[in-house]
Amino acid sequence: MEGTIRPDHLDLDRLDRTRRIGWVDLERIQRARTLVVGAGALGNEAVKDLVLFGFRQVDVMDMDRVVRSNLNRCVLFREGDHGSNRGKAELVAERAMELNPEARVIPRHGRVQSLGPEEMSPYDLILGCLDNVAARLHLNANACHVEIPYIDGGTDGFRGKVQVVRPPESPCLQCAMNRSHFKVMERRFSCTGQSTVFYRPRMAAEITTTSVIAAVQVREAVKLLSGRPVIEHVLYYDGLAGGMEVYAVPRDPQCPNHAGQRSLSEI
Amino acid sequence: MVVRARVRNAETGATVDMELEQENTVEEIIEGVSAYWEKDPGAYVLRKGRRLLRGQQRVQELDLQHNEELELIPDPEGGNR
Repeated sequence: MEGTIRPDHLDLDRLDRTRRIGWVDLERIQRARTLVVGAGALGNEAVKDLVLFGFRQVDVMDMDRVVRSNLNRCVLFREGDHGSNRGKAELVAERAMELNPEARVIPRHGRVQSLGPEEMSPYDLILGCLDNVAARLHLNANACHVEIPYIDGGTDGFRGKVQVVRPPESPCLQCAMNRSHFKVMERRFSCTGQSTVFYRPRMAAEITTTSVIAAVQVREAVKLLSGRPVIEHVLYYDGLAGGMEVYAVPRDPQCPNHAGQRSLSEI
Repeated sequence: MVVRARVRNAETGATVDMELEQENTVEEIIEGVSAYWEKDPGAYVLRKGRRLLRGQQRVQELDLQHNEELELIPDPEGGNR
């Protein structure tokens, strides 16, 4: 006798429907250590999707606390979180484990800039759910340095984008940037005498675009860990027109993140 | 040699024709059309076909055909706040 089953045994398996997608490498996904940087709008959606999909080891990092205006797009925050002394990362971790008790979600309270190569090297995958160019560049540079795949998401109103960086072969975030990005960065970190003004503009943000972009980030993570081809290299989403387009990004020979590396076309 | 290109504003669908010198850079095109359309300060990229163009690429490197269309796309940088 090989064991006992019940008529509804398939419905008792939380991941039965996921297992029916033949190419998904669920074992690798469950083993993978994933770092989500940013526990705001995109971070909420990304962590929710990760744990529901079957990711079991997720760390989530943020330095902020919840404000009431977060509640129009953050599925894991509650009305009472506003004004509490608990960090976004802590709340996201706690609520995500309620969604899937088999997942171990660890909060990390801190700034992106505290993440260096040593802190990032234990991870198999990093998801950037950030809101500014400087933080993105920091994460991107360190991910390239330790050669860990980095999936970056960004939104602005009904527009969004996802870029998949697979060091050392692929172009990185910095390769796709130009002077307009650095002007935005300068505006945010304008210096006045001895002090630095950290200007944080309030950008348009809503749940439908956030959901789409975070879902694409997690889907690319699933494809990457399962050995499927991923976006090459950046996907732009226009929610008003209802379209998505994928564009190639040429690797910038002057990009400091690829110093000493040759692109595949050069080899 | 001057090359004429048409730039499309991905947000509005508007177009503008530009006369470009071989030495002009992609960043200069982005700044030129952003100023013309009085775009909000922000990050933008320019695409040609299925490729994004590097900021420091010069027109002479782009293999730009006469009256070819480029598109200015806003690059969304929000998502955490």
